[in-house]
Amino acid sequence: MNMVKATTGRSTDVRYVLMILIGLFFLAVIVYPLSLVIVKSFSSGADFTINNYVKVFSQEANLRAFWNSIWVSCLSTAVCVALGTLLAMLIVRTDIPGKSWLRMLLLLPYGIPPFIGAMAWAQLFGPVGYVSKLYMSLTGAMSAPWRIYSAGGVVLVLAIYQFPVVFITVSGALGRIDTSLEEAARMSGGGPFRTLIDVTLPLITPAITASALLAFVGCISNFGIPALLGFRARFFVLTTRIYSALSIPDMPLATAMAVLLAITSGVPLVLARRLERRQSRYTVISGKSVRPQTMNLGAWRAPIFIIVVIVSLFAGVVPLISMLLTSFLKYWGAPLRFANMTTGHYKYILNLPMVTRAFRNSVFLAVAAATITMAVGALVSYMSIRAKIRGAKTLDFVGTIPYAVPCTMVAISMILAWSRPPVVLYGTIWVILAAYLVRYMPFSIRTTNATLQQVHVSLEEAARVSGAGWIQTMRHIVMPLIRPGLVAGWILVFMPALRELTMSVLLWSQGAETMGVVIYNMQDAGYSQIAAALSTVVLLVILAGNVVVRKLTKGEVSM
Amino acid sequence: MGAEVVLVEERIRVSNLAKQFGTFTAVHDVSFTVHENEFFSLLGPSGCGKTTTLRCISGLEQPTEGEVYISGRLVTAPRKNVMVPPERRGIGMVFQNYAVWPHMTVEQNMSYPLRLAKKPREHVATKMAYLMDLLELKGLEKRYPSELSGGQQQRVALGRALSTDPKVMLLDEPLSNLDAKLREQMRFELKDLQRKTGISILYVTHDQVEAMAMSDRVAVMNAGAVVQEGAPHDIYANPTDKFVADFIGTMNFVPGTVVNATEQGARVRLRGGAEVTVRESSLEAGSCTLAIRPEDILLGTERGVDCEVDVRIFLGNVIEYRVRIGEDLLRVQTNASIRLEPGDRTRAIIQHALVFPE
Repeated sequence: MNMVKATTGRSTDVRYVLMILIGLFFLAVIVYPLSLVIVKSFSSGADFTINNYVKVFSQEANLRAFWNSIWVSCLSTAVCVALGTLLAMLIVRTDIPGKSWLRMLLLLPYGIPPFIGAMAWAQLFGPVGYVSKLYMSLTGAMSAPWRIYSAGGVVLVLAIYQFPVVFITVSGALGRIDTSLEEAARMSGGGPFRTLIDVTLPLITPAITASALLAFVGCISNFGIPALLGFRARFFVLTTRIYSALSIPDMPLATAMAVLLAITSGVPLVLARRLERRQSRYTVISGKSVRPQTMNLGAWRAPIFIIVVIVSLFAGVVPLISMLLTSFLKYWGAPLRFANMTTGHYKYILNLPMVTRAFRNSVFLAVAAATITMAVGALVSYMSIRAKIRGAKTLDFVGTIPYAVPCTMVAISMILAWSRPPVVLYGTIWVILAAYLVRYMPFSIRTTNATLQQVHVSLEEAARVSGAGWIQTMRHIVMPLIRPGLVAGWILVFMPALRELTMSVLLWSQGAETMGVVIYNMQDAGYSQIAAALSTVVLLVILAGNVVVRKLTKGEVSM
Repeated sequence: MGAEVVLVEERIRVSNLAKQFGTFTAVHDVSFTVHENEFFSLLGPSGCGKTTTLRCISGLEQPTEGEVYISGRLVTAPRKNVMVPPERRGIGMVFQNYAVWPHMTVEQNMSYPLRLAKKPREHVATKMAYLMDLLELKGLEKRYPSELSGGQQQRVALGRALSTDPKVMLLDEPLSNLDAKLREQMRFELKDLQRKTGISILYVTHDQVEAMAMSDRVAVMNAGAVVQEGAPHDIYANPTDKFVADFIGTMNFVPGTVVNATEQGARVRLRGGAEVTVRESSLEAGSCTLAIRPEDILLGTERGVDCEVDVRIFLGNVIEYRVRIGEDLLRVQTNASIRLEPGDRTRAIIQHALVFPE
């Protein structure tokens, strides 16, 4: 009896100490820097002021960037929703052939870093892009009738890299609909179209809305696409405008715009999470599952299939091929002939110290960020979900705040917090790591929460009843059960961190470059083929990572 | 008085229905007819093809072969390229999981078929009031399904199916998601509802007690085919094969040998040496399987075969024993007046037994 009491007592103490340590860590790494941004945005020197915000709304260039952000994101989201919902309907609910292939092709953009995607689209549709040249040679025109370096280009490419969110969510919702709900409408006298309008659409509306909100947030907080396609046309959005303000540097203006960006992206995120929660109340008792009825497209089957294939190819495969071609091209704009191909760019990048350094840095940052956030995440989840310690819920909440904070604001908060004594991290790789920790902490906590929730308490209790102590229960029962989830979560942080651009482009310094930064700078300086070669390498790493994740999680998780 | 000819209208006729899923035959050569005012059940274990048959009748599934008539109209005939879509068949259907739409209120759910049929508003209102009353859903009109209990959701589904006064209603295991008490209560209510509305019901279930309790006629299905069709008591008393005998009610199966077969009956010897007289005629001598209902064995009699009580289970109105007769263990049900303890030796008379070939 005494012994039992002693162990419980001690482990409780350890847990409280751990909790306080994590709490302090969150305060220093998340709360302190982020609140500095807000404070800074309201101050001029030591005084309180709203002048910084006035400056945003009174200077035409800033105001225009703000509105550009809003309308570009709205328009892109509309395209995402239309495209994503339509394609989801076609693939889940019609007799279109090659469904699993089409689905894979359509999800491809999800795995491609948006800024690399933007480069590929510039290669395809730029003034001397592959498609533009094809068009010119076919029509004899002097130039293509489109401009990829424009607001329109930004909208289009943003939509392509955000629509998988809508596609995945809506096709998931369509697949989960209890088909008897639709059959009941047929038995009530409604034809296929009425059933679609009265039953199917209302049932997937929450999914459409939630994914639209997420797509909007993805668009408005994106930096790579408006930077690579907008700068040249002098077309600015909030993220790129903040980038310019920081290079002046005008810190007060940058902070004010970052706070505005955080609000415009944070509000939809909160709404989306509410919707998700409300949707869980929508679940009704489900009986035997009958295969969803697929609509016969009839004579439309072939033409619709061809259009969907073209869209699917342009979503991922065509940009990838273009990237590969460009990486072997002797000089940008050279006609596509075998004689114009070279492996020189690969030799060049392999011998460039900056590249090897950047690769090392990115791998180190990704490994460190994934390991630290997963370890902290697992502890937080265990304390809030399993041990149900008071205060652990607060930790969980604080740790997930950065989910609603755009990368740009995280980067600014790092500059504000870590560029003055006593702790000067700015100018080193450590400031980038700090930013990654903030940014990826919510993802880790979410994965570890989900993983831990799958292990029912009774499994642990059964082990205790069988005579296992706390440590043994952890080692023999809990760890084996959550290991696949933890590994998958680790990779889900590792992969995006490996190719991260938005934060590192604002925080990098000589010697602390990341792969994303090197690719961006190469492309920005006009070395398209070098950037393409680097991108190809990064894409190969991502592909390999994806295969590993699929193997580990048996296809349940992918990127 | 001359002979009166009563014309009983047929409501559902299924002939030679077959459904193939790839290489798997779900339903094979199924035929039956449901008449007006009839409660007809398709009964069978899961995977026997009963739900597929129902779905072929509803039009939600297209059979590979055969024909379906609803109220005399040909609605499904793959050979003749006839396939009336489900919404134009004029039948009500209740799904196993109720399929009550979560985004519509009780009233919106139940009035949906009427609104689709563009019925005048007063008609809808009267009908709704009537159904709310009939199904005891008054006061819940504005509730959403997530705020209802399982039994209430079920009644909403019933109301929706009844709202257009269909002549035929299909019910797919509608009681299987309810708890035991409610299930028993709903049996009476469904039967009552059918009598009140005069509707023809085709009922699909794997629960033989349910089918027996409510149906006028039952078709027992196994492995995609109808194996026996008839009134519940007929099927219970005279199962045509071992499967039906086993599936309907409780049955003891014991191996035996036919020793003395005549036109009037036969004597069958059990493994322990005890002999039982059966009424079956024209049996062949040799080994067979004897099927005996637990209530057909009398315990504690003066004559009969020797037996020993093995286990006793008290069930309230009856007591169930497991007794050893020779080498066989048999279940026996008696009323509570006979009190025997495990280990007691007594005698038993087997009043009635069926014989199936080995």
